[in-house]
Amino acid sequence: MDASGVAAEEDRLEREILEVGRELIERFPSAARHPVRALDERAIAASTRDRELRAALFRLVDVTPACRSLDELAEHLAGFAAEIEDRPPSLEAAMRAADSKPGRLALGAAVAAGVRHMARRFIAGDSPADALEELRRLWQAGIASSLDLLGEATVTSAEADRYAARCDQALATLARAYADFPERPVLEHGPGGKLPRADLSIKVSALTPLLRPEAPRRGIEDATRRLRPLLRRAHELGAHLHVDMESLDTRESTLELLFELLSEPEFREGPSVGVVLQAYLRDSGAELEQLLGFSGKSDRLPPLTVRLVKGAYWDHELVEARQHGWLSPVFEHKQESDRSFEELSRRLCDRARTSPESVRVAIGSHNLRSISHAVAYNRLSGGLDAAIEIQVLRGLGDDLAEAAARAGLRARVYSPVGDLVAGMAYLVRRLLENTANESFLAERAAGAPLEELLAPP
Amino acid sequence: MSPLGELPTVPPFRNEPTLELRRAPQREALDQALAAVDPALPIAVPVWIGDDRRWGEDFFSSDPGRPERVVASAAEASAAEVDAAVALAAEAGRRWGLAPAAERAAALIGAAEVLRRRRLEIAALEVRECAKPWPEADADVCEAIDFLEYYAREAIRLESGSELGQAPGERNTMRYAPRGVVAVISPWNFPLAIPAGMTAAALAAGNAVVLKPAEQSPASAFALIEALREAGIPAGVLALLPGDGEVGAALVRHPDVGAIAFTGSSAVGLEIIETAAKPAPGQRGVKRIVAEMGGKNCVIVDSDADLDEAVPEIVRSAFDYAGQKCSAAARVLAHESIVASLAERLAGAVELLRVGQAQELDTDVPPLIEAEARRRVGEQIEEAGSRGRVLACAPVPRGPGWFCAPTLATDLDTSSPLLCEEVFGPLLTIEAVDSIEAACEIVEALPLALTAGLFSRNPATIAAVARRLPVGNLYVNRRITGAMVGRQPFGGNRLSGVGAKAGGPGYLAEFCESRVMTENTTRHGLMVE
Repeated sequence: MDASGVAAEEDRLEREILEVGRELIERFPSAARHPVRALDERAIAASTRDRELRAALFRLVDVTPACRSLDELAEHLAGFAAEIEDRPPSLEAAMRAADSKPGRLALGAAVAAGVRHMARRFIAGDSPADALEELRRLWQAGIASSLDLLGEATVTSAEADRYAARCDQALATLARAYADFPERPVLEHGPGGKLPRADLSIKVSALTPLLRPEAPRRGIEDATRRLRPLLRRAHELGAHLHVDMESLDTRESTLELLFELLSEPEFREGPSVGVVLQAYLRDSGAELEQLLGFSGKSDRLPPLTVRLVKGAYWDHELVEARQHGWLSPVFEHKQESDRSFEELSRRLCDRARTSPESVRVAIGSHNLRSISHAVAYNRLSGGLDAAIEIQVLRGLGDDLAEAAARAGLRARVYSPVGDLVAGMAYLVRRLLENTANESFLAERAAGAPLEELLAPP
Repeated sequence: MSPLGELPTVPPFRNEPTLELRRAPQREALDQALAAVDPALPIAVPVWIGDDRRWGEDFFSSDPGRPERVVASAAEASAAEVDAAVALAAEAGRRWGLAPAAERAAALIGAAEVLRRRRLEIAALEVRECAKPWPEADADVCEAIDFLEYYAREAIRLESGSELGQAPGERNTMRYAPRGVVAVISPWNFPLAIPAGMTAAALAAGNAVVLKPAEQSPASAFALIEALREAGIPAGVLALLPGDGEVGAALVRHPDVGAIAFTGSSAVGLEIIETAAKPAPGQRGVKRIVAEMGGKNCVIVDSDADLDEAVPEIVRSAFDYAGQKCSAAARVLAHESIVASLAERLAGAVELLRVGQAQELDTDVPPLIEAEARRRVGEQIEEAGSRGRVLACAPVPRGPGWFCAPTLATDLDTSSPLLCEEVFGPLLTIEAVDSIEAACEIVEALPLALTAGLFSRNPATIAAVARRLPVGNLYVNRRITGAMVGRQPFGGNRLSGVGAKAGGPGYLAEFCESRVMTENTTRHGLMVE
């Protein structure tokens, strides 16, 4: 194609992206339906504008489960607040309150209530069973889910065993419950065949305490012992198992573990399994090659699902690299990650279109542009909407999932479950710090000019 | 201004990046490096004074993981050689001390470049000679490079002197002159970085150096001297005297030694301080001593600590390199509200530690340095079990090698020597405290004050503990080992050491004497400025 041809293609794509974006925006639930949520949004939006304030808020949520009394909680709040230079009046008042015992009790109670309130938004329930009602509600609204079990870090074998047991139970609970859910064809069929209803996301770092970035074998062997029975279980139950990706330190272990297990003959026919590709990694293109290479050669029947995300460990990766004097493994500018995301989604869509039996595509993003781009590209290149699914985080992308579902797209909500207070701390640590910043882009979409939201990165 | 105007200005200091061993291609180079080093063993290490190298097979270093493998065969310096080395150093040192700092700095930066070139080879040598696991051996070479680069820059800074008050008609200047001959007595646990740091600082400040390395690691020290000589440090100002404690003692007593830089146990350090305090016949100065000694390092864990983070960081602080670091964690003081859960999780993590050969990347705990160390630490661990209670230990491989089971113990009597003396091996104890206040009191009561750790998420607690603890280096919410040159100047207080912190802004001045000149700038009432 010559230069003018390329430009014309790009024009067409950009027009289609605007089209898809508009389609989604029009289907966003109105803020009026969620007055409480709108209030939250304002509070969080205020905190995201100010790095110090946000850091204090996250540190407070992080320490809440470790505080033994309301008094102690208030003390922490005052301590974090004291480190903010430009304190809003509400924080000044809180610090004054923390000077007296009754003041601290009141303040501590307010914080505890606040964290619980926030937790209910982000966490689907105390346990998988507890979350079922919520999963059913979503399913009926045309939205699928992937459950994620929150918990403390795994540092001992006993903890790894407990996590594996929780995963096993969760698979059983999900499979049993989903069997009774009504039919939702959009959620159950893709070009690569039938899609499992029950879907569990798992973390390799929770399956073994032995992940060592410089010595992957030991962790792989230990995690294999626990992942193999889970794969069997998922296969038996017809559930999907999605292996989350964490920091770069564990990527090699995670991928090798998975490639090895999925090459075992007993898993040739199932279960359906997914991996994650992080677009913020400078070498994510090579990683995609590796994933496609594996799925292309593999004779497994279920296609490999690739969940494309921007990546949630940006700060961690950058800090670690800087402390060691290494080249940062992640792009340092947001636009670079966004461009990488689009490039990777095009390659994924191409592969899913030409070889639906080998790869399924999931677009994990709250960025309206990234999502619209993937859908638009897929449509223009002749793919079916059913070839991709949109994945969002509970609490951050709910409206987006709803809009996508109404637009006839397949949407899935990543739904953490676990103890509300402790779970919230894990969530803050693992996800929110890195996603909160822009996740509201989509939710504030109604207010901002569409062209701005959908501009190319 | 340097007379050699063409010397390039040096870029700002930055720490040498360690290998990124999480990437497979970087790991592959390691086996090749070992394969290249092994056939060259044993390495002959001479007594090296000026241009004379005297070879000999007086003593040997061996692979702690496979003791029949001889890593170095070394000549031992005689009393006459100690005298000859000091005499030559005193003489050659005069010229070196008068050279512009930029010239000395260039030689040190050149030596850093040689180490970069030989980086994997020397790290492989450390794997063999000291059972340093790869990541630590690599970090040790990087730290040696850092010391050379950092003190080179410090020498240039120091040469510009210090700001003094000035009045009309007078000009006051303060400059720093070398102390003459510096005896460097170094340990085996950081077999390149520690001798490199002490030697580089002394040389940068314009002194001559006589190095007596630990008898367990002569080959690593030899590599350092080779690098410095190759980079242009004059032969006379840098001597290598391999040998045992007697060689070190002779240096300490020597009347022409102006300063002693020592890193090692508190017992030996105090002996050096005592000996050096008595002037020998003919001695013309008081010897300056910079001594980095032992530690009994506590980690305080508050009720609000993030245990997910504390457990792995404490385990690494206590058991990396089998606890053979002066900064290693020895004693956990945990708030009573979390001590049970912390102890349980630590125990589970300790059980998983893999004791094995230093060359294997999945080894968590390598063998101890020598048979004697294993006997001594083994006895202490046994005592911890009989006087207290062992919560967890990890299995030890069969076969040769000075392996020792990493152990977590508790319930020791507060008066037990195990709770206040340095073990220098893989033993960690845990005890409950009813408040952070009480934990601080325990740390304050210890005679050793090198490093400490604190896990807390309360800014007020962190500030209060930092004000109170007497330790040289306090680490908050992270491991307590792995100080970086220029970022975490390192050194203990109390019986843990004397002198400025290594890798920090005050260190070079320890190897200098300051000289102040006040010049009358008026001539019969006429200002001549």
